[in-house]
Amino acid sequence: MNPEQAERPTYVYGLITADTELPDGLTGLGPSGQVATIAHGRVAAVVSDVPLDRPLGVRGDLVAHETVLDTLAARGAVVPMRFPAVVEEHAIVDELLAPNEDHFVQLLESLEGRAQFTLTGRYEQDAVLREVLEGDEEIRALREKVRELPEDASYYDRVRLGELIVRELEQRQETEGTGIVERLEPLAVATVTNQLASPEDVVNVAFLVERDRQEEFENAVEGIGEELVGRIRLRLLGPVAPYDFIPEE
Amino acid sequence: MSIATQRSGGGGGGYVERAPGGGSSSLADVVALILDKGLVIDVFVRVSLVGIEILTIDARVVVASVDTYLRFAEATNRLDLYEKGGKDLPGLVQGITEGGAKGKTTGVLEAAAEKVNDILASGREQREEREEVRRRPVRQRARENEE
Repeated sequence: MNPEQAERPTYVYGLITADTELPDGLTGLGPSGQVATIAHGRVAAVVSDVPLDRPLGVRGDLVAHETVLDTLAARGAVVPMRFPAVVEEHAIVDELLAPNEDHFVQLLESLEGRAQFTLTGRYEQDAVLREVLEGDEEIRALREKVRELPEDASYYDRVRLGELIVRELEQRQETEGTGIVERLEPLAVATVTNQLASPEDVVNVAFLVERDRQEEFENAVEGIGEELVGRIRLRLLGPVAPYDFIPEE
Repeated sequence: MSIATQRSGGGGGGYVERAPGGGSSSLADVVALILDKGLVIDVFVRVSLVGIEILTIDARVVVASVDTYLRFAEATNRLDLYEKGGKDLPGLVQGITEGGAKGKTTGVLEAAAEKVNDILASGREQREEREEVRRRPVRQRARENEE
């Protein structure tokens, strides 16, 4: 490696075992579009060139990062790097792989044969609001009051009404969300709960699932989806790379 | 952008929306999946990090606020509790307004991702307006720090 090449900025997507072959058709986020590996001992970094004439983070960069990792995850264990990771080329062996080979091998072994699924669930708004109204007299009364007042006279009552509804939704989230996760947990190796973005969200949990049990897991999710139809819409993303299951160092 | 695929194989069904990942997911999915997750390169590579500008991607979870409360109050007011059987004209009108208001009830994360998307799209079309996008240098060159 000549000195110029050694210092060349290199994008790192993630880590795989050195004996994993790169699948065809991977597209990198750099100008060349190519993806390659740099191996050391039993581990390899999945790398590409990187655009230097613009900041990173456009849609295509994010999608390339995810696509490369998910494609690799479909074939074997992969440790995703946090977006974005750019280092000088020589550092991939000198600083990343060589000093941490054992650690990365262990991490890859712990992920072997496993994939991530992220389950999100969201209330059907009208259905859940009806349930809330039917179950709470105070909310019902406040709603009637608000409906009879002109808009500018009802501001504080409307805020109060909304607040009571949001509280009620958050309580439901807690019981219903936990209930869903508890039913799926036995089918997963590990779970990570993500923060909910809206009061209408019921669940947002990542599951690390053994590939051998993937179908069982998917069927269980489907079964819960059938039970909840009309009240909660479930969405299952995956299999994807184990983004949520990389330990904080 | 978002592709829902029905499962092939297994017990059929279609009660759960499926997104397979691997680039066919929506930008909101990608952002939620990869942002702030994964192995942090700085922990391992301290000397030869390359400082690179990145576009700031905001995908924060917003805590319920007065706006959220008003939104739910409004949605509740629109509900016709006694709506049974066929829909009368107000019922139909209500259906239309609800459809129109769906955008407002999109998740915060999706909204953020759409915003990112807008910014990126405008960045592509009008490169000279790029300065409007907030940028922050993620990290300095470690070497510069040492000097």
